Amino acid sequence: MPRLTAMMPVRNEAQRYLYEVLTNLSTYVDAIVVLDDASDDSTAEICRSFPGVVLSRTSEPLFLVDESALRQALWERTVETRPDWVLAIDADELFEERMRHEALSLIDQQEYDAVEFRVFDFWGDRAHYRVDGAWDPWRKRVRMLFRYRPGQTYSWPRQRLHCGRIPLEIRRSARVYQSDLRVKHLGWLRPEDIRRKYEQYRRIGTGLDPHLESVLDDPSKVGLEEWIPAKSVPF
Amino acid sequence: MSRGHVGILTTYHVHEDGTRIIYGGAERYALEFTRMLLEMGYDVAWWQIGSGWIQEVTHGVPLYSIPLQEAAYQTCPALNQAFFEQARGIDYAVYFSTLLAYPQAFERSIAISHGIYWDYPTWETIVPTERHRREWRQRWWMALNGPQRVVCCDTATIRFITATWPGLVGKLEYIPNFVDLTAFYLPDEDDGERDEVRVLFPRRLTSVRGVNETLAVMDELLEKFPQLEFYVVGRGHSDHQERDMLRWAAARARAYYFWRPAHLMPSVYRNVDIVLVPSKASEGTSLSCLEAMASGRAVIAGGTGGLTDLIIDGYNGLLLRPLTVSALRDSLERLVNDPQLRRSLGRRARMTAEAFGLERWKVRWQRVIERVFHRGG
Repeated sequence: MPRLTAMMPVRNEAQRYLYEVLTNLSTYVDAIVVLDDASDDSTAEICRSFPGVVLSRTSEPLFLVDESALRQALWERTVETRPDWVLAIDADELFEERMRHEALSLIDQQEYDAVEFRVFDFWGDRAHYRVDGAWDPWRKRVRMLFRYRPGQTYSWPRQRLHCGRIPLEIRRSARVYQSDLRVKHLGWLRPEDIRRKYEQYRRIGTGLDPHLESVLDDPSKVGLEEWIPAKSVPF
Repeated sequence: MSRGHVGILTTYHVHEDGTRIIYGGAERYALEFTRMLLEMGYDVAWWQIGSGWIQEVTHGVPLYSIPLQEAAYQTCPALNQAFFEQARGIDYAVYFSTLLAYPQAFERSIAISHGIYWDYPTWETIVPTERHRREWRQRWWMALNGPQRVVCCDTATIRFITATWPGLVGKLEYIPNFVDLTAFYLPDEDDGERDEVRVLFPRRLTSVRGVNETLAVMDELLEKFPQLEFYVVGRGHSDHQERDMLRWAAARARAYYFWRPAHLMPSVYRNVDIVLVPSKASEGTSLSCLEAMASGRAVIAGGTGGLTDLIIDGYNGLLLRPLTVSALRDSLERLVNDPQLRRSLGRRARMTAEAFGLERWKVRWQRVIERVFHRGG
């Protein structure tokens, strides 16, 4: 059976969704490689409480200084677990329940080398996600699960921010499957996180980013849809 | 050593923006066709409409995109010309739909017809007047004349062409579509001990595939038969249609909407009892229909295009002519109430499917390819 490793950078996630995300991941991955970016809360303790987590830490925060270096370091630790497939996921992203039953069959094949998923940005509560403008999750697909080939070279763009969660070589990969499995992104769920994340990205961003600015849109401009619960298929 | 370079021109293997992947029968045909050419020792490259991006159809087989659109009558003369120029290094060409061979074709080339596609009412908008219809026929005649061989996946197309232009009969080859008989098989312990009756619609969610009639019928029958379960397994024609379908299924007990990669579809077929292929138009020898038959399922099919090459009504499936909501409802009720009939139709469907095995399809194709590419026609 193919071996699946999840990789995840984290920083000060103890009060957010880390426990829930690790619990969820533990049901369908073989290992979870976490690179703790010098958290000063109990993030590391939470990680250690999961037997499947392979934890390492930076001594100084790296994400906002050199994301590319952080991604590279996380990648090196990930390939040490000898994965057949890698899932690049964040500490505020949760697959819907079906993933637990379908992850193995999704990767146990030779037809495609990468999988894309729709990511839904939850907004205000866990029943609604944002759909206005570029937030529309139905039109976007995120490549986050891919086959690892030990002989191949993998790299990240040398940039400070937004250098992507998967190696450049995977972004060019041709044989892609677009899955109907959905990912819940909880990062914008709480109003206090919205303001904090906005300030953080604004500080380190270069120039005006209309999508980032839309984070602070007046509630009357924010389009929401109700989450459609998935049914578990009986076979 | 390579036996030569084959260039294949199609309209859309993936969506023209290069992001939305299409999982229809034509795309699976494309993949299997490419594999066969690779097995035969050819180098293969594909071209399609797009903004200039390059992808791969499968490992080592590039898919180039050409920034040109369809023109009138669903022909693509500019695309055809760009292919002619860009693919100059190829030895042989395949036009993945016949009209792509208009106005000119490579000397050693084959065109493929996937079935009649002008048999639905809105076709009128494409050829609204007699002048338009004449022009369309003229272009199609030119497209059929250019390549050395035209491979038709069903007999409906052959009947149309030979009735319209008897002189073209020598160009036509009938190679019906295929099914992998080892992946899709009749389970030993069929129908099991389940109380529920599972109905599958394994198609893209388009009007010509009969999705609207199907949903109307299922809305009624899910209420009427508490043992009924309904599975819609296929992508929409747009992202938001997929959302709407998910919502439709969520609002109904025992209705499910999802899709699965091709390698998992055999188990989907094995786990259902009745498969709906209620196409109204634009249909060839449907891969879904063949897969359902090879899996020994009871099929209800629309009496259109190549489906009539596969199903004999009442023998190896039920054929609806014409396809209406009431005809579909009646047939489905009949099968829900009669497990014996489901089993007998399914067994004969499996026997029929054995005439359409993938290996047989390859042999037929290899014969045509050898003749056109290496023996001049």
